Amino acid sequence: MKRSTYIVMAVMALLFAVSWYFKAATYHGNVMSPLVAGFMITLAAFLTLAIISFVYQDNPFYKFAEHLFVGISAAFWMCQSFWSTIVGNLIPRISTGLSKYFGQPYRDEPWNFVYWLPVILGILLLLRLSSKIGWVSRWALAFIVGTTAGLSFIRYLRSDFMEQISSTMVPLLAAGNSGESLLSNITLSATGPFVAMLTNWVIFLGVICGIVYFFFSKEHTGLFGRASRVGIWILMITFGAAFGYTVMGRITLLVGRLTFLYKDWLGLIS
Amino acid sequence: MKREVPLFITFFVGTLLIASVFIPPAESWGENFSVYFDIIAVFAFFLGGGNLLRIHLQKVASKRPDWGYSIVTLVAFLVMLAAGLFKLGNPGGISGNLTTAQSWFQILFQNIMSPLGSTMYALLAFFVASASYRAFRAKNRDATILLVAAFIILLGRTPFGTMLTSWIPPQYDLLQVPNLAIWIMSGPNLAGQRAIMIGIGLGIVSMSLRILLGIERTYLGDDR
Amino acid sequence: MLFRVAIAFACLFIIAGVAGQPAGDTALAVQQTIAPVTSLIATNHEYDNGTGIDLIWVPSIDDRLAPSRVTGYEVWRSVVGGSGSRIAELPAGANKFTDEQCSRESTYVYSVVAISVAGNAVSISTAPIQPAREWINLHRLNLLAIAFLVSAAVIYFIQSARSGKKLFVRKIAGLDAVDDAIGRATEMGRPILFIPGIQDMDDVQTIAAITILGRVSRVVADYDTKIKMPVSRSLVMTAARETIKASYMAAGRPDAYNDDMVSYVTDEQFGYVAAVDGIMVREKPATCFYLGAFFAESLILAETGNSVGAIQIAGTAMPAQIPFFVAACDFALIGEELFAASAYLSNEPKQLGSLKGQDVGKAVALVVIVVGTMAATIGSAWDVTFMNQLWSALKVVFQTN
Repeated sequence: MKRSTYIVMAVMALLFAVSWYFKAATYHGNVMSPLVAGFMITLAAFLTLAIISFVYQDNPFYKFAEHLFVGISAAFWMCQSFWSTIVGNLIPRISTGLSKYFGQPYRDEPWNFVYWLPVILGILLLLRLSSKIGWVSRWALAFIVGTTAGLSFIRYLRSDFMEQISSTMVPLLAAGNSGESLLSNITLSATGPFVAMLTNWVIFLGVICGIVYFFFSKEHTGLFGRASRVGIWILMITFGAAFGYTVMGRITLLVGRLTFLYKDWLGLIS
Repeated sequence: MKREVPLFITFFVGTLLIASVFIPPAESWGENFSVYFDIIAVFAFFLGGGNLLRIHLQKVASKRPDWGYSIVTLVAFLVMLAAGLFKLGNPGGISGNLTTAQSWFQILFQNIMSPLGSTMYALLAFFVASASYRAFRAKNRDATILLVAAFIILLGRTPFGTMLTSWIPPQYDLLQVPNLAIWIMSGPNLAGQRAIMIGIGLGIVSMSLRILLGIERTYLGDDR
Repeated sequence: MLFRVAIAFACLFIIAGVAGQPAGDTALAVQQTIAPVTSLIATNHEYDNGTGIDLIWVPSIDDRLAPSRVTGYEVWRSVVGGSGSRIAELPAGANKFTDEQCSRESTYVYSVVAISVAGNAVSISTAPIQPAREWINLHRLNLLAIAFLVSAAVIYFIQSARSGKKLFVRKIAGLDAVDDAIGRATEMGRPILFIPGIQDMDDVQTIAAITILGRVSRVVADYDTKIKMPVSRSLVMTAARETIKASYMAAGRPDAYNDDMVSYVTDEQFGYVAAVDGIMVREKPATCFYLGAFFAESLILAETGNSVGAIQIAGTAMPAQIPFFVAACDFALIGEELFAASAYLSNEPKQLGSLKGQDVGKAVALVVIVVGTMAATIGSAWDVTFMNQLWSALKVVFQTN
C-alpha cells in the first residue's frame, strides 16, 4: 500500500476513536452499555460513509463494508429461516421432544407425516455433494420446479389474464348518452364527463395496441405494424410514469441516510 | 431413471397443483406446497453457506488478492450465525424471541446490517440521476416519450407543478400538471400495465406447460 | 245497526287516540330498546371443503332508519351439544357473514346480536346446520375452460410445429444480440456476468432465467468464455450449476466446467447488490445479463454495469423495474418476452410452436376486449338488452373467484 493510504487509514481510525468516545459519553439508553452503544453508532456512521464512497470509486472502505454486509446478512437470513421455518413450522409437526425443547406447542394434526416429504427432498438435495449419487438432487429440483410451474399457471392465468381482460370491458360512452350531448359540451375539466370518456377510450385502445406489440408469430407490418408502434408508445408512457413516480422516493431515501449522519450521529440538527 | 423420474415428478406435482384449484378438499395444497418449498430451501442453506465458507477460506488459504476482506466475511458470518442460532445475549434463552432488543442478533442487525442495507438502497438517488441523464441524451422518439411522461409525473408530485400551472381555468384543469400526472397514471399507464400483464399471464402459462410436458428441461441439466 | 256502527267508530277513535298519545315514561323506554335483526338464515357455503357456512339477515329496523341507533352486530355460534361463543363483530349496516372456521363433523346454531348504546337485541336462532363438502368447484368452471382453451392452443401448435409445419416468429432484438454479446466477451477475454434476479426457485421468473441460462451457457461452453454467476439463493445456485454443467457436457467439454462459476452470496437484497457491484467494478465483465425477478436493485446493477462499459441485456416481468432496464441497458426484454426467450433461443420447432399458441391467447384477449367493450358501450348508451346480456355473460366468463 502507498504511504498516503496509511495516512488516510490512520486519520479514519483517529476520527473513529474520537467519535466512539463522544458517543459513549453522551449515551442515555439502557439497551446496552455506553461503551458498546458508542462503538455501534460510530460503526453505523462509518459503514454508511463507506457505502456512499462507492459512488466515487471502489476503495478499501467499501470493500470492507461490502464483505461485512455479505457475511452478516447471509447468516441473518439463515437464522431467520431456521427459526421461522424449521422451528416454527416443521418441528411442531414432526417431533414432540424437539417442540418441547424449543418451547413450541406441538401441533397434533392428521397428515403431519406428509411433512417428512420436504425433509427427505431436502436431504436428497444435500446428496449433491456426493459425486456418485449426486443426480438424485434433481428429484428435489424437479419437485420445486413442478410446484412453481403448477402454482404459477393458475395464479397468473387468473390475475394477469382473466382479471385484466374483464376489467378492460367498460362502456366507452356514458349511460343513456349516445354521444351527441357529450360532444356539444367538450371541456377539459379533469373531473368532467368528457375526460372520463377520453380516459376509457385511451385505456381501450392502449390495451389493444399493447397486446398487438407482443404478438410473436405475425410480422409487424401494415395496420398491424402501426398498432404495434402505438403499443410501444403506450408502453413507453407506462415506463416513464413508473420512472417519474419513483424518483422522488429514491431521493427521500438518501435524505434519510443524511439525516442519520447529521442528526443521530453528529447531532448537528435536532 | 436419471432422466425420467425428475420429469415425471415435475409433471405429477404440477398437474396435481393445477387440479387442486378445482377440488375444494385439495384447495389448501398450494399453500402446503409453499411451506414444503420453504423447508427444502432451508436445507439448501447448507449448500449455500458451505459454498460461501469454501470460497472465502480458499481465498484466504491461497492468499489471493483482497484475501484480507474474506476474513471479514468469514468472521461476520460465523459471529452472526452463532448469535442467531444460539440466541446469544437473549434474556429469554433458546425459546426467547429472536429479535429481542438486547440480543446480539438484534444489536448486530440494527447497527450493522440495517444501516448498510438502507445506505445501499439510498445509492439509488445517485443512480436514478445518472439514468435520467442517459435517457435525456437518447435522441429517439421512444426515449423522448418515456422522458416526457416521467417529467410530468415527477413535476405533478411536487408543489412546483401546482405553482406552475394553477392559473389554468377549471374547464381546462386537466392541463394542470398535477391533474395531468393523475390522468397519465389512470389512463395510458393503466393501459400499458394491463397489456404487459396479459402478455405475462400467457407467457407464464405457456412456459409452465413447456416445463410440465418436459419440452423445457434445461433446468434439470438435460439439454436433449 | 247505526248505533252499533257508531259505537265501533267511537272505540276505534279511542284506541287511536291512546296510541297517538305523546311521550310518557313508558314510550321513552320503548324508543330506547332496539329491534333485533330478522330473517336470519344459515346456508352451507358452496364449493368448499365443508368448512364454511353463509349467514344472511335483514338488519335491525333501527339500523335502517337515519340516524342509525345500531352501533354494530355480533355473530354468535353454538355447537349443538356444546357451548356458544362470539365469532365475529361487524359494523352497523352489515347483513351477511361467512363463518369459515367450521368442522364437517359438527352441527351449528347461529344468532346475531344487534348492539346499541341503550342495549342489545338478540335475533331468533337459526335452524341447526351442518356444513357440507363438495368435490368439484363449479364456480371455477370458467377458469377450467379458459385454462383448457389456452393449453389446447399451445399444445396444438407445439404438435403442429413438431410435424414440420413452418412457423414465423418475429425478431426479438434483445435475444438476437445474445450471441454477439457473448462473442464480444470472448474477444475481449473478459467474463460474462449472469444475474438471475433476487428471488428463489418458487418465482416463475427465476425459472425462466434458469431456462435462458441453459441456452446462454451452451454458447458460452462452445466459445470457451468465462461465465460468472453470483446468486442470492442457495437453490438457484444448485439449479444453475446443474444447468451450466449440462451445457458443458453437451458441448463435449465437461472438463472445462467448474462449480465456482456459480457462487452463493447472500439472501439479503442489498448485501447481494453490494457484492455484485464489487464484482463488476473489479472484474469488468464485457457482458451482463439481468434476467429474472428484480426489485429496486435493478437500477443499481444496470448503472454500475454501464459504468464499466458492459453490453447489457435485461429482462423482467416486474412492471415497476422494466423502465430502469429500458433506460440503462442496451436491450430489455419486456414481460412476456422474458418467458418466451428460452423458446426463441432454442430455435426448436416445438418450442417456437408454444409461442404461436400464446398468440392465440392474445387473439382471444383482443376479440373479447373489443366485443365486450362494444357490447358494454352500445348496451349502456342505447339501452340494448341483448348487448347488456352479452356484456354480463363475458364478465361472468372472465370473472375470477
